Amino acid sequence: MAQFVKKDDDRDEEEYSPFLGIEKGSVLQEARVFNDPQLDSRRCSQVITKLLYLLNQGETFTKVEATEVFFAVTKLFQSKDIGLRRMVYLIIKELSPSSDEVIIVTSSLMKDMNSKTDVYRANAIRVLCRITDGTLLTQIERYLKQAIVDKNPVVASAALVSGIHLLQTNPEIVKRWSNEVQEAVQSRAALVQFHALALLHQIRQNDRLAVSKLVTSLTRGTVRSPLAQCLLIRYTSQVIRESSMNNQSGDRPFYDYLEGCLRHKAEMVIFEAARAITELNGVTSRELTPAITVLQLFLSSSKPVLRFAAVRTLNKVAMTHPMAVTNCNIDMESLISDQNRSIATLAITTLLKTGNESGVDRLMKQITNFMSDIADEFKIVVVDAIRSLCLKFPLKYRSLMNFLSNILREEGGFEYKKAIVDSIVILIRDIPDAKESGLLHLCEFIEDCEFTYLSTQILHFLGVEGPKTSDPSKYIRYIYNRVILENATVRASAVSTLAKFGAMVDSLKPRIFILLRRCLYDNDDEVRDRATLYLNTLGGDGSVVETDKDVKDFLFGSLDIPLVNLETSLKNYEPTEEQFDISSVPKEVKSQPLAEKKSAGKKPTALGAPPAAPTSTVDAYEKLLSSIPEFSTFGQLFKSSAPVELTEAETEYAVNVVKHIFDKHVVFQYNCTNTIPEQLLENVIVVVDASEAEEFAEVATKPLKALPYDTPGQTFVAFEKQEGVLAVGRFSNELKFIVKEVDPSTGEAEEDGVEDEYQLEDSEIVAADYMLKVGVSNFRNAWESLGPDFERIDEYGLGPRESLSEAVNAVINLLGMQPCEGTEVVAANSRSHSCLLSGVYIGNVKVLVRLSFGVDSSKEVAMKLAVRSEDESVSDAIHEIVAN
Amino acid sequence: MLLAVLITNSEGNILVERFNGVPGEERLHWRSFLVKLGADNLKGVKNEELCVASHKSVYIVYTVLGHVNIYLVGKDEYDELALSEAIFVVTSAIKDVCGKPPTERLFLDKYGRICLCLDEIVWKGLLENTDKDRIKRLVRLKPPTEF
Repeated sequence: MAQFVKKDDDRDEEEYSPFLGIEKGSVLQEARVFNDPQLDSRRCSQVITKLLYLLNQGETFTKVEATEVFFAVTKLFQSKDIGLRRMVYLIIKELSPSSDEVIIVTSSLMKDMNSKTDVYRANAIRVLCRITDGTLLTQIERYLKQAIVDKNPVVASAALVSGIHLLQTNPEIVKRWSNEVQEAVQSRAALVQFHALALLHQIRQNDRLAVSKLVTSLTRGTVRSPLAQCLLIRYTSQVIRESSMNNQSGDRPFYDYLEGCLRHKAEMVIFEAARAITELNGVTSRELTPAITVLQLFLSSSKPVLRFAAVRTLNKVAMTHPMAVTNCNIDMESLISDQNRSIATLAITTLLKTGNESGVDRLMKQITNFMSDIADEFKIVVVDAIRSLCLKFPLKYRSLMNFLSNILREEGGFEYKKAIVDSIVILIRDIPDAKESGLLHLCEFIEDCEFTYLSTQILHFLGVEGPKTSDPSKYIRYIYNRVILENATVRASAVSTLAKFGAMVDSLKPRIFILLRRCLYDNDDEVRDRATLYLNTLGGDGSVVETDKDVKDFLFGSLDIPLVNLETSLKNYEPTEEQFDISSVPKEVKSQPLAEKKSAGKKPTALGAPPAAPTSTVDAYEKLLSSIPEFSTFGQLFKSSAPVELTEAETEYAVNVVKHIFDKHVVFQYNCTNTIPEQLLENVIVVVDASEAEEFAEVATKPLKALPYDTPGQTFVAFEKQEGVLAVGRFSNELKFIVKEVDPSTGEAEEDGVEDEYQLEDSEIVAADYMLKVGVSNFRNAWESLGPDFERIDEYGLGPRESLSEAVNAVINLLGMQPCEGTEVVAANSRSHSCLLSGVYIGNVKVLVRLSFGVDSSKEVAMKLAVRSEDESVSDAIHEIVAN
Repeated sequence: MLLAVLITNSEGNILVERFNGVPGEERLHWRSFLVKLGADNLKGVKNEELCVASHKSVYIVYTVLGHVNIYLVGKDEYDELALSEAIFVVTSAIKDVCGKPPTERLFLDKYGRICLCLDEIVWKGLLENTDKDRIKRLVRLKPPTEF
């Protein structure tokens, strides 16, 4: 902060600042003049200016200081000096006094609010609304409503803008003003109309119909302010988005209005309309044309803001409708030399999107000249665009790959180099022809790469792709050079890469072994260790033999554990007698913030590990449970439910439960996340009360030793039940733990903790938990082949239901079976319905169900249930579920 | 939302800084970002000639007026064009108060009045007044002439 804050005083005499050497302490002292019985208005204004200067520089007042100044300032209401009064209004807003202090000025402000002088009123409204709370607001609400429709635009605007702010804190009150606001929307004063429209839309934003009506009436009337017109265009596009695509005549509603706005006299409105049109869902080229035409005109405007806005919009359009933008290419090319580099970069990337295959070479030439004089951040954007272009025109890979390798050799920061390397990697993955040349470019790059991270990543990638090329031996030189020339981290990576070549290419093995043996004398532990490990596991003497698959998996297979979790567990591990157990590392990936997820989704993965093959969750659960000794005797896992949340969103601790069903056991797996950075939880268990689940007996609990902030962990509780009995019940859960305070600066927890508990929602075992959803491809054949031996048929009255479809879904959910052949969908207004279900019941018994529903005029639903299965008792059990 | 109004001298020292809806911990980042943006791009720019940039989903319009640099940051409805409208109001109000494109000294001499103008133009992130004559009257607590 200090870097930019106060002004230096070593300036010329004449330039010296009136605030030279200003200090908070002395200004606060000076503020005592506010208490003088004979007020010196000029002096007081000067002191307030100094206070404002301090506040505007990011200086903060302590609570005591602010209170003191605030109370002193309130005395200034006695002065009749207009200039001073205006300053007083401003400083009160800046000081934002606390609610218990506000009381002292409210009466003065209320007086001003009813003053005959309009500007006193406007300012008093703004100050009051800034400092008010709900109770005071109800007292002044009447005046505010009047103010909204005041004939003086200053007063009306002050009240309306206050309303926009108050809507955040007191929505119910502000919503009561909609009649007045509605009136203000018709105001002749441009700005009042703008503010009123903004407020009215915010009040009604959740009421689609009201917004639609608002838009309909305003688009027909006159809107005076260009700012309001822009808002209206935005609201109109929202209505268009939400309404059905086309009306009966096939025209898009409100399109004519948007198109009309393209001829407005204010550039702001024209642009807003053009952008709204380009963003319409499924916009046609006929609709696009007029918008593109005005944007094209803006491209050659003398105003940089307009050029920027236009090229930015066209850049977006180019992603979806490249052909529509090609007309602008000539104007766009002239923008490459624009002084504003943002505009130039946007122009280049747009051209890269709209260009055709034949123009690629010419374009690349232009870009090469351009690249030398833009900053890294813009270069990255260009590199990304070139990558997309290359994927679009794979035949052009040669010139684009050359371009990338050329810029890779030039000066540049880490992010830029990483973007280039990532692009080359993606091209290698997606364009087989580009592989060999791409790998060689990367090899040359690591010969002279100053970034350890990039070198290691490229070495890893070489290890994966290199052995699969026609002549793997040519890469060895580059890799071994790293062992000789680089730092320890890169050397260790190079050793691993060499070993991969050795493991994958049998003919190279003897020579690789010679190289690896040289690494045994490296002065770094890790490098030596790796070399030793590889030499010992890859096959003894290094003769030309095939490497064992198990060894390959062990050395180069995936860990099957998220690295972040492994890292956290290792950090938490304290060296004791007990060895570190890799199976104790949680496999659940920590949830990412939404924003991160989005960006991760957009970008193709480049150098990181290739996406792991999706393992089924059941497999993962089975592996996890069998690794816990207490549960290892439970036999084959039948089913694992989807996680059921036991806490509300955004609570201190997030817990969900997964129910694992075995033949004679049920295991509850509680996935817990601690969302408080200042806490460490230890000995976390869930205490389960099974008094409403009599057929279950608790047999084992596995506590969670520690639950640090934001690292998910699991605790388990296991129950025994009788085999073959459909036991159901309700379990109440309580989280118990020892909580320890964590010092956020050091991350260390205090030694002593406090026992605490946290109530969770109940969990349930229901009949559907004993059923696996397994579909059949041909229900009729399956039904016939099961035969009528164990068929059970009965009829049930389901009572009055909301609808037939609701009844069908209720039965499907109750049984937990897979609907077949789309029979879960009930046609609208139908009086009867048939539904086919299939599943596997616990004990691996195949079950098929035919349901026939009928509904009468009083919505009473009747159902016929036919069950066929491989076991008589199971058919009976299904009927029992429904009967109960 | 108009996220920030920042005014610095030509060396990048802060003269006025008003943030709206920007968390405290992000302000320093924005400040250095803007100052750097100005240092990179405002050399040789004529008075009131607008520069524009976007960063993530946020727009920035900035310019030079005399010896001070003015930056406006906005998002959503305050896009580059709305910001250029707002910055026009800010520059004309400052010119009006100072009588000409200000030197830093002149700016600081008129500091209180400029704060009042900014208060009339932007209120907690919303553009409130756009007419310089009206603003001129309002800071003196004079009612607007026309309505």
